[in-house]
Amino acid sequence: MSTLEDSVEFANNSQPRCACVLILDTSGSMAVDDKITKLNAGLQSLREDLLADDRARRQVELAIVEFNTSVRVVHDFVTVENFQPPTLMASGTTDLVGGVNQALDLLRRRKKQYDDNDVPCYRPWAFLITDGEVSEAEAQTVAGRIREDEGKKRVAFFVVGVQGANEKSLHRIVSEPRMLSGLKFNELFLWLSASLKSVIISTPGEMVALPGAGVWEAV
Amino acid sequence: MEPAPSEIEIRTEELTPRTLPGPWQIAAAQTRGTDHEATGQDCQDVYRVERISPDLLIVAVADGAGSAKLAQVGAGLAANQATAHLSARLAEAEDLLDEITLRSLLHDAVVEAISALDAEASARQVHINELATTLILIIARREDVAVAQVGDGATVIADQAGNLLSLTVPPVTEYINETTFLTAPEALTGIQLVFWRGRATRLAAFSDGLQLLCLQWPERLPYEPFFAPLFEFVGTSSDESQAGHDLAKFLSSEKIKSQTHDDLTLVLASITNCAHED
Repeated sequence: MSTLEDSVEFANNSQPRCACVLILDTSGSMAVDDKITKLNAGLQSLREDLLADDRARRQVELAIVEFNTSVRVVHDFVTVENFQPPTLMASGTTDLVGGVNQALDLLRRRKKQYDDNDVPCYRPWAFLITDGEVSEAEAQTVAGRIREDEGKKRVAFFVVGVQGANEKSLHRIVSEPRMLSGLKFNELFLWLSASLKSVIISTPGEMVALPGAGVWEAV
Repeated sequence: MEPAPSEIEIRTEELTPRTLPGPWQIAAAQTRGTDHEATGQDCQDVYRVERISPDLLIVAVADGAGSAKLAQVGAGLAANQATAHLSARLAEAEDLLDEITLRSLLHDAVVEAISALDAEASARQVHINELATTLILIIARREDVAVAQVGDGATVIADQAGNLLSLTVPPVTEYINETTFLTAPEALTGIQLVFWRGRATRLAAFSDGLQLLCLQWPERLPYEPFFAPLFEFVGTSSDESQAGHDLAKFLSSEKIKSQTHDDLTLVLASITNCAHED
């Protein structure tokens, strides 16, 4: 007699998706202390770590928006298996507002594609990494946009300040920015990978909070 | 790191002593999800099966919220309270129950469960959300099936012709890891209360861990190749404890565990039509 394991078949539903957009500061100051090199290496670690997880490989989707003097979508949303982070270069000034707006627009578009195609999804993540600062007016604009999108549950928005960032100015954007300890980009991205993996195994009601202070975080 | 299959805890509950033998054949099991294994959490699913008379079956499935500290307490309390309420009422006058009465019975049982959670939260001096749980409550008889559901999971039946129907379904939410719990203020407004008149020959109730595997989305229709072998299995099983064991083995198989890390509960019931044909 065949076992249930042999005979039962599963419905062919779309894999649920968890979109995460990385909003990366590639202004000139990111060249100082080789921050940009460490950031690039961190992106590779993120890819490798997610790729090693069978579920994450199929369910996590990543995109990259970089901002310096201008804003550029470096990588539109793809599943981890198709994610090829490029080598980013640091130059120019810091158009943080443009970067955030572009990223949130990108997320909105992706979410609509999920909905149009009946793809189940988790609440998307946006992950801003910057070593810069914003003026009070800029902070207000960007904070307003983030609040609006978070209020409508469109995104969970996280900010990580890197050496040189103006922490006070980041506090104007979100209530709880995190600060990177030294140049622990690698640890930061491994932690992000672990966090995304915990989202995709979460079940209803499991508000996935960020796992406690990672080893990358300055306290 | 995923635990080896041998480490997966298998639970099959003993049916309660007052369970009567009857035409309803049962196979029920639950397994603790691998992610709860990893964090050392208990299985937060609870199910109850009671036969009030040979023809009258009550099934409850509750799934405690992953984020709630007392999820297992909440799920147990909700399932017990609702089942107890139904048993007491149904034992009184089974034959007199029409659709309206059944619906209001189920509604009352859900309200009872919510009150019990409220009282428990007060007694423990915690927020009621710490006891958050979903609840599926079924009254199955020869001629009809009535179901109340708050939150995720679903109830599927096969009619006499073998057609599969979802009586209750996981509500559509914006994100996949969201649902409405019994403890939410909107629990009763979002309740699914379904009465189906007809002879259900098979019945399945399950928690959310299985819903992407056995329902076709977004319509949430039963996926026949999933249910057919399981319905065949419960229809041909004679030893309930053996059936529960076999089902638990299936729920903890690699095939399932590669797809879902969640706690899983599956209650299957089967009734033959020939016995009381009139």
